[in-house]
Amino acid sequence: MTMSSTAMVARRALTAASHGGHEGGARTWKILSFVLALPGVSVCMANCYLKMQAHSHDNPEFVPYPHLRIRTKPWPWGDGNHSLFHNQHTNALPTGYEGPHH
Amino acid sequence: MAHQAHAYHMVDPSPWPLTGAVGGLLMTSGLAIWFHFHSTTLMTLGLMLLLLTMYQWWRDIIREGTFQGHHTPPVQKGLRYGMILFITSEVFFFLGFFWAFYHSSLAPTPELGGCWPPTGIITLDPFEVPLLNTAVLLASGVTVTWAHHSLMEGERKQAIQSLALTILLGLYFTALQAMEYYEAPFTIADGVYGSTFFVATGFHGLHVIIGSSFLAVCFLRQVQYHFTSEHHFGFEAAAWYWHFVDVVWLFLYVSIYWWGS
Repeated sequence: MTMSSTAMVARRALTAASHGGHEGGARTWKILSFVLALPGVSVCMANCYLKMQAHSHDNPEFVPYPHLRIRTKPWPWGDGNHSLFHNQHTNALPTGYEGPHH
Repeated sequence: MAHQAHAYHMVDPSPWPLTGAVGGLLMTSGLAIWFHFHSTTLMTLGLMLLLLTMYQWWRDIIREGTFQGHHTPPVQKGLRYGMILFITSEVFFFLGFFWAFYHSSLAPTPELGGCWPPTGIITLDPFEVPLLNTAVLLASGVTVTWAHHSLMEGERKQAIQSLALTILLGLYFTALQAMEYYEAPFTIADGVYGSTFFVATGFHGLHVIIGSSFLAVCFLRQVQYHFTSEHHFGFEAAAWYWHFVDVVWLFLYVSIYWWGS
């Protein structure tokens, strides 16, 4: 199958780029890791920290909606009424939040 | 010494497929026993058997490939096809959970309040920890690519560094997700919102743990000089799997965390 000379040149350039040249590849991705990827993570970490500080900590009032906090079958652990990642502070039971103060 | 007149690998008889199957049987029936009779013995036994099977089966493959030279180019090609087919099957696995999510959220029923998110559900802010998780996985995709190029160029120390960084990012994601699971104002029992959220993200998290483990094995192998600059398929398979895990997260983030909030 023959190709135009332009197509041949383009194909060679793309092949070189994807193989990262003879010594460019690892260095390129190392630079990307430390200049783009990891700083990106740091920025998002800072953003999270700032946003969490600005939160109010009160839970909304408890409403016993029938479509939430479903208990068709008890869980096979504990008293069967607490999910695996149950959090007393943020997760109400079907009867309401646990403990005197949430 | 016997010789073969072809480049393929006729594998020696092995007990691991049988022990794996028995392990699977004990785990599944053990799960049912746990649910109905509150005993975890059978399930634990099955889990032990499965873990032992995985360790010994994959150890044998490493012996056959790295030390005995059975992984010729045609054999490697077959392994590549195998990994691609496996990942494809996993794509379909996740497709099912996305189907469930979109089915429930595009036409929310009256019981939920006719809206999505359902009445009473406080969703997570997509621009807090979920966004950080996205950055973490994308960064790990960059570092694993750095690792691959390092391997291909024979840069041993860089390969070890970049692989370690990738694994740490994977562990960081898992830790962040575990914290999110604990802090979330909704649980798996909160109707179809809770079910779709925790089943889809939960299976994803499991795949992150599997992917991180796969990369960790590659890390140990690289330290022990198993890989060459031309032949490192185990690493490539791990990297493919890791990219797949990253892509699934991107779909989860856009669909469930962002659009669904």
